[in-house]
Amino acid sequence: METNFSDNRLIERLLSGDKNALYQLYDKYSGALYGVILRMCRDEDKAKDLLQETFIKIWKNIGAFDASKGRFYTWAYRIARNTTLNSFRSKNELIQTDDISVYDTKTVSEDAPDYTELKGSIKKLEPHHQRAITLVYYMGYTHQEAHEVMGVPLGTFKSYVRQALKQLRKTYSNELVWLWFIFELMA
Amino acid sequence: MEKKRILEDGLLELYLTGELPIELMSDVEKALKEDKDLKAQFDALEADFERMGMEQAIIPPNEVKENLINSLEQTDKRKINWLPLSIAAGLALIFAFSTFLMYSRWQDAENYLNNLQSQTAELQRRVENLESDYQLTSTRLESINNVNVVPLVLYGNHKAPNAKAVAYVNHKSKVVIINPRGLPALPTNRTYQMWSDVDGEMINMGILSTDQELITLKYIENAESLNITIEPAGGNDHPTVEELVSYVTL
Repeated sequence: METNFSDNRLIERLLSGDKNALYQLYDKYSGALYGVILRMCRDEDKAKDLLQETFIKIWKNIGAFDASKGRFYTWAYRIARNTTLNSFRSKNELIQTDDISVYDTKTVSEDAPDYTELKGSIKKLEPHHQRAITLVYYMGYTHQEAHEVMGVPLGTFKSYVRQALKQLRKTYSNELVWLWFIFELMA
Repeated sequence: MEKKRILEDGLLELYLTGELPIELMSDVEKALKEDKDLKAQFDALEADFERMGMEQAIIPPNEVKENLINSLEQTDKRKINWLPLSIAAGLALIFAFSTFLMYSRWQDAENYLNNLQSQTAELQRRVENLESDYQLTSTRLESINNVNVVPLVLYGNHKAPNAKAVAYVNHKSKVVIINPRGLPALPTNRTYQMWSDVDGEMINMGILSTDQELITLKYIENAESLNITIEPAGGNDHPTVEELVSYVTL
């Protein structure tokens, strides 16, 4: 829980108005949050603005964060997700295309890099698990919307998400075992 | 709320992304507080979620952090609100301009007033002059145009055939006034002088200067005649009889 401990110290500093604490949290979490925002909006310029807006909201609303209820990343993720979804709503950009993507088709050009491509352990998941995770966590769909997109019942979709997360955890644990093994070998 | 339902309905996953309906929120939070196992599962879920997030991280361009820092530092600096300042400056300008306008108008009014005052003073002076002239004239008229006044004309003799003077004698108020305008002008070293004849003795009544209209002279009691002689300037103690130019008997 070292991560949480150091986060909590940063948050305490943030609560007392120390901006450097925010910049440290930015250094730590901006990549993960930018990954979410950029995959959701697929527009780099917009994603940059939304990331900035997310951190300004974190700065202004840090008083509302309750460490006993969860991790800072989870809280910040919700802010980033809602900020991005709100920007769609406010600009009427939520146009559903044939494959029911959440993007304004005009903003996606042929040459644009595919920000939606996922990396790491997720790629090892089965395709329907990958899709379930992507829809919910990286495209801003609600579970209700996502099961319709995938054309499976809500219960089935929820179990996809659960299984996917379980699978991920296994992968992470295996990675830890491997890491431990490598360390042992090196020692 | 039952732990089983929370797990089976995937409420923890919904809670994670903030999708959980508000009415279920407090139930799930309460269950998480009370059930350590459930909390442990949620902690693991969060940890996995965060790890997944870190795995999917995309490093944002540096400008985002720079912009964030700039925007936060800017809000720190007390923003100068130019609107009221510019309104105040505008008002001050208007005030200054109107003050200047008022000042120049005031100066104009002051000058005008000064002019009026000097004109009034001039008029006042003229009125006073007129008044004194009028008083003098009316006094003279009164002293001449009076039933007690005897007007006497003194005609010039052969020495001054065209000479003429008028004397007004008031025996009651004992005043003699003479108009010498009809006497010919004399050289500067000479003057007319008037005498009263009392029992053969000539008594000085005064000097007549021809540039005056009416001259008041000494009234001499029991005068038998009035005589005008030409004397050296400044007058004489005794009349030069040879220089008698006019006389009239009373």
